[in-house]
Amino acid sequence: MNLLALVKIEWLKIKKYPAFWWMFGIVALTYPGTNMMFYYGYSEGTKGKEVASNVAKMLLGNPFAFPETWHTVAFLSSVFIMIPAILVIMLVTNEYNYKTHRQNIIDGWSRGQFVTSKLFDVVIISMISTILYTAVAFSFGAWADYDNIGRWAEQLQYIPLFFLQTFAQLTIAFLLGFLIKKAFIALGIFFFYNLILENIAVGYAKFKLNDLGKFLPFEISDRIIPSPAFMSRFGKDMKEAYEKALDAIPMHIALTLILTAAIWGFCYWKHKRRDL
Amino acid sequence: MQEVLNINGISKSYGPIKALQNVSFQVPQGAVFGLLGPNGSGKTTLLSIILDILKADSGSFAWFGHPGSPATRKQIGSLLETPNFYHYLSATDNLKITQAISGRGDAASIDTALKIVKLYERKNSKFSTYSLGMKQRLAIGAALLGNPDVLLFDEPTNGLDPVGIAEIRELIRELANQGKTIIMASHLLDEVEKVCTHVAIMKRGNLLTAGPVDEVLANEDIVELGSQDLGALESILQQYHGITQIKTTDHQSLQAFFPVGTASMEAINQHCFEQGVVLNQLTLKKKSLETKFFELTND
Repeated sequence: MNLLALVKIEWLKIKKYPAFWWMFGIVALTYPGTNMMFYYGYSEGTKGKEVASNVAKMLLGNPFAFPETWHTVAFLSSVFIMIPAILVIMLVTNEYNYKTHRQNIIDGWSRGQFVTSKLFDVVIISMISTILYTAVAFSFGAWADYDNIGRWAEQLQYIPLFFLQTFAQLTIAFLLGFLIKKAFIALGIFFFYNLILENIAVGYAKFKLNDLGKFLPFEISDRIIPSPAFMSRFGKDMKEAYEKALDAIPMHIALTLILTAAIWGFCYWKHKRRDL
Repeated sequence: MQEVLNINGISKSYGPIKALQNVSFQVPQGAVFGLLGPNGSGKTTLLSIILDILKADSGSFAWFGHPGSPATRKQIGSLLETPNFYHYLSATDNLKITQAISGRGDAASIDTALKIVKLYERKNSKFSTYSLGMKQRLAIGAALLGNPDVLLFDEPTNGLDPVGIAEIRELIRELANQGKTIIMASHLLDEVEKVCTHVAIMKRGNLLTAGPVDEVLANEDIVELGSQDLGALESILQQYHGITQIKTTDHQSLQAFFPVGTASMEAINQHCFEQGVVLNQLTLKKKSLETKFFELTND
């Protein structure tokens, strides 16, 4: 069975799954909504004639104008990884719940093909998130400062970086659903770890453990897209930290690729051996 | 006769529990093969192994002379344990997935399968709205998709009402008449006896017996006899050569057991008459599958 046939079968499963369209709708609202909130804050802070507004404008530039929009919108949108993560966890735990992970094999898939089909689910969802991000970033770029539209093709590297970060973090969500099999437990662990535990651990490690937190599963790919460029304009320390973060991107891309490949490799290995 | 399935020394344990112990048997082409056993005897575990849902600890199996693989499974219409479908999809959409994965049949054959299992009118309803019996029928429909030559049914009449059970029994007969090989696990002995040509009986992971139904059942002849005076009848039968055991079934008849193929109705009749007992009943009975099953599986 070729790969296209696998994608078509996954699409048959996904296209009439209500949670998929809910996710799509929520992401389609959240990405522009969050960025709009920040943009509104920026506009309010910089529109006055007084000195403070002008200083703010000078410091911040326009984070939503081309080419910075690619970076700013990627950073702000990536915070909402939990929305597609819910869908990824539901798609894999549904298979256990409905026992279709067995039926797909009975009907003639190999165990490897089953994992590949789930890999495609994660790819498809990551691509949809990336397309939505691209549309939002482009719209902000065109709308926030039309004068800069000629620079739209700069910093386009944030599109593949956004995809890689989304795919890597959704892969972790998949792993939890794949191993735990129960949607609520997997979702609970994902949220608790992603939103609370790892953030505390990274913060602690930054001051006490020589920043070893950068090797934690989500942090590895979080650092692919560092804080937006305007953050570097608040003094020498911030500028240095920003430049250091930019320099670390290639290493984090490599680490992300290694971790993501290792997770999928483990899933193939495990699924080929275990009782279903 | 060519073998569709060859199971060779399969064992499987769950920790200290031995679910299957060195099970071997063959399923010939065209057979309706009943796999029997009490709950927990290992039937579903065995079927799961030959469908690659579970991994055997040791032993092997071959479908159509080849080791089990996705390609061999595509040729088999299977219903294992429970109907497994996407709850939010309709019957048609679920069968589209079955069809796409197995490669069996085409778009038109989905309607054909749904008509056979009488779900055509509800083909666009979501699976989650189906009753237990309808879900079971959809699973049978999925197995029938594309008219495969080999079918595997694990408790096919689960959840069906009496009419549904009769319909599935009739369907299985019809499929058998078309020359299909059917492997069926069930604990409804009556159902198996009515449709199966071959049978295997399992208990606590061990295979107790396997073979054609006639051979498995007919290891002795049972002759049922009746007369006015059962006491006199019993005493003259005790003198008759070849009887292994005499049992009183009720107050009107006796059962005399002979080694298979040795009971002669004429000779028994003549013996009784000569000894002054006139028979009012003389029948050669086949052992029922139920009798045999309890005999084998009772401790």
